[in-house]
Amino acid sequence: MIKKEILLQLKNISVHYGGVKALDGVNLELDEGEIVALMGPNGAGKSTILKVIFGLVPLHSGKILWHQKEITPITYEVVQMGIAFVPQGRRVFSNLTIAENLEIGGFIVDNKKELKRRIEEVLDIFPVLKRKLKLKAGSLSGGEQQMLALARALMIDPKILLLDEPSLGLAPKVVKEVFNKIKEINERHKTTILVVEHNIKSLLDIVHRGYILDKGKIVFQATSNELRQSDILEKVFMGKLA
Amino acid sequence: MNVIPQLILNSIIAGSIYSLIAISFSLIYNVTKFFNLAHGVLAIIGGYTVFYFAQILNWNIYIAITFGIVFAGFIGLILDKIIYLPLRRRKASNMILLVASLGIMTALQALLSILFTNEFRTLSRNINEQKIFQLLNGSLTQTQVIIIFVAILITIFIVLLLFKTQFGKAIRAISDDDEVAKIVGINTDKIISYVFFLGSAIAGIAGILMGFDIGIEPTMGLNLLLKGIVAVIIGGIGNVYGSVLGAFVLGFAENFSMWKIAGEWKDAVAFILLIIFLLFKPRGIMNK
Repeated sequence: MIKKEILLQLKNISVHYGGVKALDGVNLELDEGEIVALMGPNGAGKSTILKVIFGLVPLHSGKILWHQKEITPITYEVVQMGIAFVPQGRRVFSNLTIAENLEIGGFIVDNKKELKRRIEEVLDIFPVLKRKLKLKAGSLSGGEQQMLALARALMIDPKILLLDEPSLGLAPKVVKEVFNKIKEINERHKTTILVVEHNIKSLLDIVHRGYILDKGKIVFQATSNELRQSDILEKVFMGKLA
Repeated sequence: MNVIPQLILNSIIAGSIYSLIAISFSLIYNVTKFFNLAHGVLAIIGGYTVFYFAQILNWNIYIAITFGIVFAGFIGLILDKIIYLPLRRRKASNMILLVASLGIMTALQALLSILFTNEFRTLSRNINEQKIFQLLNGSLTQTQVIIIFVAILITIFIVLLLFKTQFGKAIRAISDDDEVAKIVGINTDKIISYVFFLGSAIAGIAGILMGFDIGIEPTMGLNLLLKGIVAVIIGGIGNVYGSVLGAFVLGFAENFSMWKIAGEWKDAVAFILLIIFLLFKPRGIMNK
C-alpha cells in the first residue's frame, strides 16, 4: 500500500488561556485525502486545535509542521498555504450577497477568470445557492447559510478544510445533507477534512478515523470502525474515563 | 426677496461638506467599530497643509492641494500604524481607542495652534475675484460649485469602490465580521491601514474645500466631525447612502432653521435632530 503524504502535523502542542491549559501536549496528523474527526465533551479543546492551526490562538509550546516544515501560523498566510476554516455558528457575511460571499471567499485568487471558474465549480456542488446569488446571506435559512460557509471555504480550492461543528443548530434532515456534502467535497477534490463535531453517530458514517480529546489531551485515536465498536466515546462523554 | 432658493443652495453646500466627513468617518468606523475623534482634525490638517505650501511657500496651488490630500491621508495611516493598530493587537476596548483618539485630537489641534496660531485662515488668495454663479434664483461661488461636484464625485467613487472592487468587498467583509474576514485570507490590518489613508485623505479634501470656502482654524475639526457623526447616525451607521442622506438632512435642517431663528442656534439644531433620531429612530433612516 502506498503511504499517503502527511500534510499537517501537530507535535506536542500546548495552549493556555490565561492560567488554564486548553491543550496539553497534543499530537495529531492529517494525511492527504482523509476525513478526520475530533470528538470529545464540551471544553475538551477541540475548537482550540482548529484555531491553533489557523493562527487564531497563539501556541504556548509545541510545533506545527506543514509538509514536514515547521510553520508559525498567521491566518492570512495559512489560507494562502491552502487551509480553509469554516467556524462554528454559520458565520457568513450577512450584509453581503451570496455572490459577494463567494467572491470574498476567493479573496486570495488574483485572476478574475479563475475566480469566476471557481464560483461555478462551487455552485455545482451547492446548486441550492445558484438560484439565490443576489440575495443577502443574512436572509438565508440556517442550512443554506452553512452550505454557503462551506462553499465560501472551497473557493480557495483547499488542501485541508477545517470544520467546527458544521451541524450545530441544524435540523436532522439538513444535518444529513451537510454531511453528504462534506463527503462529496472529500471524494470529488480529495480534500483532507478535519471536523469537530458533537453529532458523533452521523459523523462516524463519513470519517476515516478520529481522535478523542478530553481535558485538552488526546486520549484515544482509531479508525471509524474501531471507534464504532469501542465504548471509549461513551466513557468520555459520561465522564467515566479513568 | 425670496430666500428659499438661497437656503436650498446653502443646505446643499453644507450637506456636501458634511457628506465628505460622514462618508470618510463611516469608512473608518465600519472597519474599526470605534469613534475616531481625531478624524475631524485630519480634515483641518489637510487645509493647513495647503495653506502652508500655497500661501507661505508660494507653491503652485494644485500641487499644494494634492500634497494636502496625501498628507492628511498619510497622517491617518501613521496614526493607525503607531497607535490604533498596536492597541487593537492588545485587544483594547473601543472605549480605550476612543480615549486614545481624543488624546490625538487634542495634541494635533494644539500643534496646529502652535504652528499657525488660532487665527482664521482662508486658502483663497483673491476671495473677491471668485466667479459667482446664479442658480434657482440664488447664488453660488466658484468654490461652492466645486464643493458640490467633489462631494458627488467622491460619493460615486466610494460606492463603486465598495461594491465593484475586491478591495471594497474586503472592507465590507471586515465591517460585517472581522474575524471571518481574517479566516477567508484577508490581511485585515493591511486593509484597515488603507482605509485609514483613504478616509483621512477624504477628510483632508473636506478641510481644504472648507478652507477655500469659509476658512479654517485649528479647533473647528471637532465641530466638523460631530456634524459628520450626526449625519452618520441620522442616515444609519454602516450605510454609505445613509451617510450621504443624513448629511443632506442635517444641512437642510440647519439652514432652514436659520431662516426663523438666529444662526448661533445652528449647532443646537444639529444636536436636537440627533437626539430625536436617537430616541425615535436609533438605527437611522436607511437601516431597517
